[in-house]
Amino acid sequence: MHDFLSFLPFLIIGAGAILLMLLSAFEKIQVEIASFVSMGFFGAAFFAQLLVGCGPEASLFAKVFNGMLVSSNFTMVAGLIILGCGFFTAVSSHSYFKVNLFCTLEFYCIMMFAACGMLLLTMAQELITAFIALEIMSLSIYILVGYDRANVTATEAILKYLILGAFAGAFFTMGTALIYGGAATTKFVEISTAISSGSASQPLLLAGVFFVFVALLFKAAAFPFHAWVIDVYEGASAPVTGFMATALKTAVFAVFANFLALSGELHSGWITFLFWVSVLTMFGGNLVAIGQSSLKRMLAASGIVHSGYLLIALVAISADHFTGSAIGYYLAAYAVSTLGIFAALSYLGGEGEKRATFDDFKGLAKVRPYSAAAITVFLLSMAGIPPTAGFMGKFYIITSAISAGQTALAVLLVVSSAFSMWYYLRLIINMYFHEAEDSFESIGSPLAGAGTLALVVCVFAIGLYPIVL
Amino acid sequence: MSAEWLFYVFSVLSVLGASGLVLFRHPMSGAMSLIVTMISLAGLYALLSAKLIFVLQLIVYAGAIMSLILFIIMFLNIQTIDLPEEKGRFYYLVGGIILISPIASFLIKVVKSLPGSEATIVGSGFGGVKEVGLVLFQDWLLPFEIVSLLLLVSLVGAVVLAGKRRLNK
Repeated sequence: MHDFLSFLPFLIIGAGAILLMLLSAFEKIQVEIASFVSMGFFGAAFFAQLLVGCGPEASLFAKVFNGMLVSSNFTMVAGLIILGCGFFTAVSSHSYFKVNLFCTLEFYCIMMFAACGMLLLTMAQELITAFIALEIMSLSIYILVGYDRANVTATEAILKYLILGAFAGAFFTMGTALIYGGAATTKFVEISTAISSGSASQPLLLAGVFFVFVALLFKAAAFPFHAWVIDVYEGASAPVTGFMATALKTAVFAVFANFLALSGELHSGWITFLFWVSVLTMFGGNLVAIGQSSLKRMLAASGIVHSGYLLIALVAISADHFTGSAIGYYLAAYAVSTLGIFAALSYLGGEGEKRATFDDFKGLAKVRPYSAAAITVFLLSMAGIPPTAGFMGKFYIITSAISAGQTALAVLLVVSSAFSMWYYLRLIINMYFHEAEDSFESIGSPLAGAGTLALVVCVFAIGLYPIVL
Repeated sequence: MSAEWLFYVFSVLSVLGASGLVLFRHPMSGAMSLIVTMISLAGLYALLSAKLIFVLQLIVYAGAIMSLILFIIMFLNIQTIDLPEEKGRFYYLVGGIILISPIASFLIKVVKSLPGSEATIVGSGFGGVKEVGLVLFQDWLLPFEIVSLLLLVSLVGAVVLAGKRRLNK
């Protein structure tokens, strides 16, 4: 029974996706109805996940699935974040597609399929399952990125993302093959025994793990593989970019943490590698972000920086008592603020996202004070100012890094946060200390605005939750 | 002994086919060299006693998928004039080789570290339809089932990206 209940959110989302796929064959059903349907399914799955809770680590349907899916507190939190992201993306898409008319029913269907892949990815404890889940997720995201066929930037984005994603997928398969060659298994549990037995096949395992890391770092947009992310985020429509930046990152970091935590030796062997990757990701992302004039490109680059912070959390996990609480918390904190900004962009962007640069948002506070205040809250949360969620997330990462003996990383995180204030404050200054040149009319539905408000509440709720506890 | 020679022949052919795919300018020549790669991979599978995979590789990949690709290329009727001018593609190629070579040398080192072993014929029935089916539906049920989700996504996605659209009215 527990197996079924833990699997229930996935089943709900899958059923919703298939239902929407069938509904899209009907002439009469409007896109708005589809967005409400997907909101309903995401909400139902979210509450199912919340109510089921999750006890200790348990293998789902161990006999039938052969221990390939494992649910734990960490997968539950990751699942909650993914489902929440799906819900708010459906909310902001509802408004966005009132103005930008290229949506069909399949949009929501594919978004739910993407969430299916992500949920599987968080629970996967076996490399081939993880690969297929990764591909379900990536394939859906490619389609969502290129949904606007008339838009040249979107077409460029989907082509770049597809080719580079296929590259990463190839690395993942090669890594899996090498690991199978070394350990004669693809299950995480058995790989860990193979590693600790210290057999003669260590070089194969080493190479395999390296290639799997390359694929995961690519998906997480870490330093040497971050170049695609900026063009892809710019080409995708605002709600899709928000979904990519949050849900996809959550799923990838969940599987990354699960894979790293499979054995203490694996984790400690790769600490130096991850150390440098996280440092370069943080500062590389900051350098890219400072030079951007487009808001979406800046947010993409700041997403790279946040990947760097999450990599620090990965360096600091303890593989023997893996809980992933710092990672889960930071992902939630980052997800609410990023989703919030993209929800705001969805209704403020206007037709064809005509407001896209820093200059376009000059004087927003004079015309729409509440929207400007909401964006300010999200930006401050991303920069890590108390009492927002972002501050607590960074605080947890810093404390876990220090307790893992990585004081240098903790210091670098603080330095990098100070750098990142530059581009977050730049938008705030543009919004508050300039006269308005635009009327910032929003013709969409009020849903995205309501979603933004709900996310502001979430930023403070998540930030204050540990204190209240 | 002959198995070893066959292995070398098939490996060299598959690498040649793959490099032809990258280097040929015309898509048709590229597709043709991809067929060479597909068929030599099938040979490699046969050497590994993977009978079912060997047959599937020939029928599905070298047969069905490649004929679909060729059909599309012919359908588009690409002439040499239609191809984009790629200036400095050899510089990119050299740059790519320099970039990839550390990884390649790393992989060669890994392969060299493997203990050598004699190739033997594995037990009867290995790699046949029945054996693969048993393993697939007993041990690998979950990956097999979720591949259906993947196929569904690609199906819907193909319709969305290429099909006629009924837009929001």
